[in-house]
Amino acid sequence: MFKSFILSYKLKNTYRVNSIIYSIKQLPLIGKRLPTSLYSSKGLKILGNIISTISEILNIFLGKVIYILIMIVSMISMYKGNNENNFIHMFLFLSLAGGLLNTYMFNPTKDKYYAMILMRMDARKYTLSNYYYSMIKVIIGFLPFTLIFGRYYGLSLITCILMPFFVMFIKTIYNSYILYDFNKKGKIKNENVPTKVIWILIAVFVILAYGLPALKITLTENIFYIIFAISFILGIFAFRYVNKFKKYKKAYKSLLTHDNVYAVQKQTSGEVLQTNTLKQIELEKGTTSNKKGFSYFHDLFVKRHKKILMKSAKRTTIITFLIFVTLIFVVEIDEKVSGRINELLMTTLPWFVFIMYIINRGTVVTQAMFMNCDHSMLTYRFYKTPKVIIALFKERLKTLIKINLLPALIISIGLPLLLYLTGGTDNYLNYLVLFISIIAMSIFFSIHYLVMYYLLQPYNVNIEMKSSTYSVVQWITYVVCYLFIQVKLPTLYFGIATATFCILYSLIALILVYKYAPKTFKLRV
Amino acid sequence: MKLVIKDLKKKFNEKEVLKGLNFEFEKGKIYGLLGRNGAGKTTFFNCINEDIEVDSGNFYIEDEKEKRKLEAEDVGYVLSVPTVPEFLTGREFLKFFIDINKEKIKNLKTIDEYFEFMKIEKEDRDRLLKDYSHGMKNKMQMLVNIIANPNILLLDEPLTSFDVVVAEEMKQMLKNIKKDHIIIFSTHIMEIALDLCDEIVILNNGFLEKIDMNNIDKEDTRKRIIQALKEEENV
Repeated sequence: MFKSFILSYKLKNTYRVNSIIYSIKQLPLIGKRLPTSLYSSKGLKILGNIISTISEILNIFLGKVIYILIMIVSMISMYKGNNENNFIHMFLFLSLAGGLLNTYMFNPTKDKYYAMILMRMDARKYTLSNYYYSMIKVIIGFLPFTLIFGRYYGLSLITCILMPFFVMFIKTIYNSYILYDFNKKGKIKNENVPTKVIWILIAVFVILAYGLPALKITLTENIFYIIFAISFILGIFAFRYVNKFKKYKKAYKSLLTHDNVYAVQKQTSGEVLQTNTLKQIELEKGTTSNKKGFSYFHDLFVKRHKKILMKSAKRTTIITFLIFVTLIFVVEIDEKVSGRINELLMTTLPWFVFIMYIINRGTVVTQAMFMNCDHSMLTYRFYKTPKVIIALFKERLKTLIKINLLPALIISIGLPLLLYLTGGTDNYLNYLVLFISIIAMSIFFSIHYLVMYYLLQPYNVNIEMKSSTYSVVQWITYVVCYLFIQVKLPTLYFGIATATFCILYSLIALILVYKYAPKTFKLRV
Repeated sequence: MKLVIKDLKKKFNEKEVLKGLNFEFEKGKIYGLLGRNGAGKTTFFNCINEDIEVDSGNFYIEDEKEKRKLEAEDVGYVLSVPTVPEFLTGREFLKFFIDINKEKIKNLKTIDEYFEFMKIEKEDRDRLLKDYSHGMKNKMQMLVNIIANPNILLLDEPLTSFDVVVAEEMKQMLKNIKKDHIIIFSTHIMEIALDLCDEIVILNNGFLEKIDMNNIDKEDTRKRIIQALKEEENV
């Protein structure tokens, strides 16, 4: 059994190391210069192994300490009362919930799929050895922190040592139940798709964990000992059952189906993204277009994607409108708030960089353009001629700007109006600056997204991401916009600066597209 | 008219996929491009279609009058995975395509005539392409490329997604249009190659090699193709 554990660990390690090397190769600039022979380079394998070992150790300890800090320690600080009892109380009920949620054994992971289905390893040996390993990890991982925090809150040494074992017994009892259930019904419960009963149970445990202490009802150490004793006795039987169980192979064959294993990964993969985007195509009877050429093509695209293109823009527009109406109402009746808002309006225009970023539909729209249109059309030579690319770019830019201007208009009129109603300003230029800078930002983001898409489109014909530059630029855009929240500058200067920047950027970006898009707007190879 | 390939080279990372292709493809013939998995057939097509840049060497069109570079209109490339704009109906796709390419299309026909030509049923013509079957999408893709009437038609595994009846129709169709085109198609299936092609070209170890088809004995040809494909480098 030890041998099969070592084998499976090596297997897991190999592809972990390979995926580390793979992600190094995906880095922009550096990645392309690295040769493929990297995968067989000894030095890198060693480096990969070190990273992989570190991540395994972090995985053992870090997860547990974060769990205890967030789920228990931070919660305890919110309650008044007996911390010692609160700690043991929350730990116990959360462990009951966690046992249901995270079984280790019935999580359909890729390592299991590779080992048992592809490599045909002995299912029982594989499962048991890895299960024991994960239980050892649970105990080693929890022990330091139940000791540190338990002792800190005043629990006895014995309690602190027993706590991790309690987790182990609970998981094993639940796992043995799943096996028992499989034996009877022939179907295995997939941990990632909990049934309603499981959800309800989890909810109950969580409510008990946090609700009872609020009512000052908690377990005490003595009650914990009793519960532990029960879990210990049941746990022994459970371990025997798990150990003796014969049909692991059959159980895993029903669990480790391709769909289950790839379910997690699938949600983000291009393939699924595409199926989901394709679902957005609507054919209403009679949607046609009188236009010609690209305009005809683009017009039909917009009409058949009304929902995905317009719906959320409209929703944002309505919400912003309501917010402004409420604000106007509030400043009319409360002078204090009114004064404060006036002050904010004169200094916090930078916030709106982030707000305008958030409400811009650029990402979704360009994604739909790619998945439902360009992905296929870019395989046609005529579609890639500079004339067509630029003509279609213009049509699309107009549409994207229009979509985003809808909510932007409300904001750009709402802000100066609010400024006026809250007492106005000495410098009338401020009204104009508010209006223009918001409009400029909206147009800027529209152009930014579309230009990035035309210059850096990252997918190949099989919808695999071939370049990370696009994601990096998107990420930088986010960070920069987010940082603006921290900035406080007089509206007048900031507004003028932003508007100027937006106009300059847009001009440069458009020149770049006209010059380079015929070369860059293609499927990656 | 012919397509001349001169010393075409392409490598990815350190791997040399095309090591210096030399060949002349002539109008009026169907060329079957055979190669083992990973031999570089798609890379070769991608080079001709200018989807990727070649490392060295060149290719051009040569006729009685002149030598010239390939223009976008010269090449039609039909991929094995059908790619069509799913949000349009078959008719709308054709209309758009014809709108864009009106000046270049010789003896323009009506949209329905094109559908007839490709044997696409009346009731399918106004359905969204996303609801078309795999084979029907492929037909549309082929049709659009034929309407554009490019000098060179690159077909990547074109017949494998069709059922036997449609495959037979398509074969016939290719034979009918071949006199005006240079048709190169890649395939793994030797039967199709022997059946349809006037010339068989093998891509092996990064080089192109023509198989002599004058021999009437198919079995003999077949053996020689396998032999050629098996040949390792420096043997």
